[in-house]
Amino acid sequence: MDGYFYALLIVGLVSTIMCVVAGLMKKAPNDPTIYSVLAVELVLVVYLVGSIIRVAMGEQIAGEAWEFWGYLITALMIPLGAVYWAILERTRWSNFVLAAVGVTVLVMGARMNQIWY
Amino acid sequence: MTGTETNPATPQPKKDTRNTGPGRLLIAVYAVFALSATARAGYQIATKFAEAPLAHILSALAAVVYIVATISLAKPGRTWFKVSVAAVLTELIGVLVVGAISLFDPVAFPHDTVWSLFGRGYGFVPLILPILGLLWLNKRRPS
Repeated sequence: MDGYFYALLIVGLVSTIMCVVAGLMKKAPNDPTIYSVLAVELVLVVYLVGSIIRVAMGEQIAGEAWEFWGYLITALMIPLGAVYWAILERTRWSNFVLAAVGVTVLVMGARMNQIWY
Repeated sequence: MTGTETNPATPQPKKDTRNTGPGRLLIAVYAVFALSATARAGYQIATKFAEAPLAHILSALAAVVYIVATISLAKPGRTWFKVSVAAVLTELIGVLVVGAISLFDPVAFPHDTVWSLFGRGYGFVPLILPILGLLWLNKRRPS
């Protein structure tokens, strides 16, 4: 497990907890919950740029390369999709949708790490 | 509005949609499963179909069920409601049957599917999801 995974672990869990708490408090998605999900997206973008640099520097992906990139590109779409979906209907339930992003991306990050090493 | 008869011809959008409130969360989780099951089945069939055709056909079936459930839950109307019920029931039967077979006859499933061991590899979400789905569909049954 590398730094990217731990970054996803921390940012993802914090985002999920924030969104679950906001949902339980019957709040609609607001700036803190939406920004927490966008923070997950930011980590993923850094992961993407970092991975491109590592491959360009000659590092080898141990597993299937296309599987790694498939996971990463899919993961990049999840926070954006969830935020769009949450903004369309701003109820407390949309915060639970946002909460699902952190854990989902976290699991995908763990799998991406397995493929890379 | 109390006491007045509502016009039966007036459509009641609240009753005939399942994509608001908790339904949004349900659709989001179904969408994630549709995505991951499709990717997994596609990968298995493309690379190692011959090793375990049954398990991989089941993976593909699971992927189709999740896709149908996601789309039908998001759509309004009575027909889509029926499609949703069929998809969620298929999912429940699938996870129970495949879960039981994989438990008692692991040889038949040398490769994991989404539904193996009642979805243990996915935190048992595949087992809980159809139950929540049926509860939600029952709550939003078209009158």
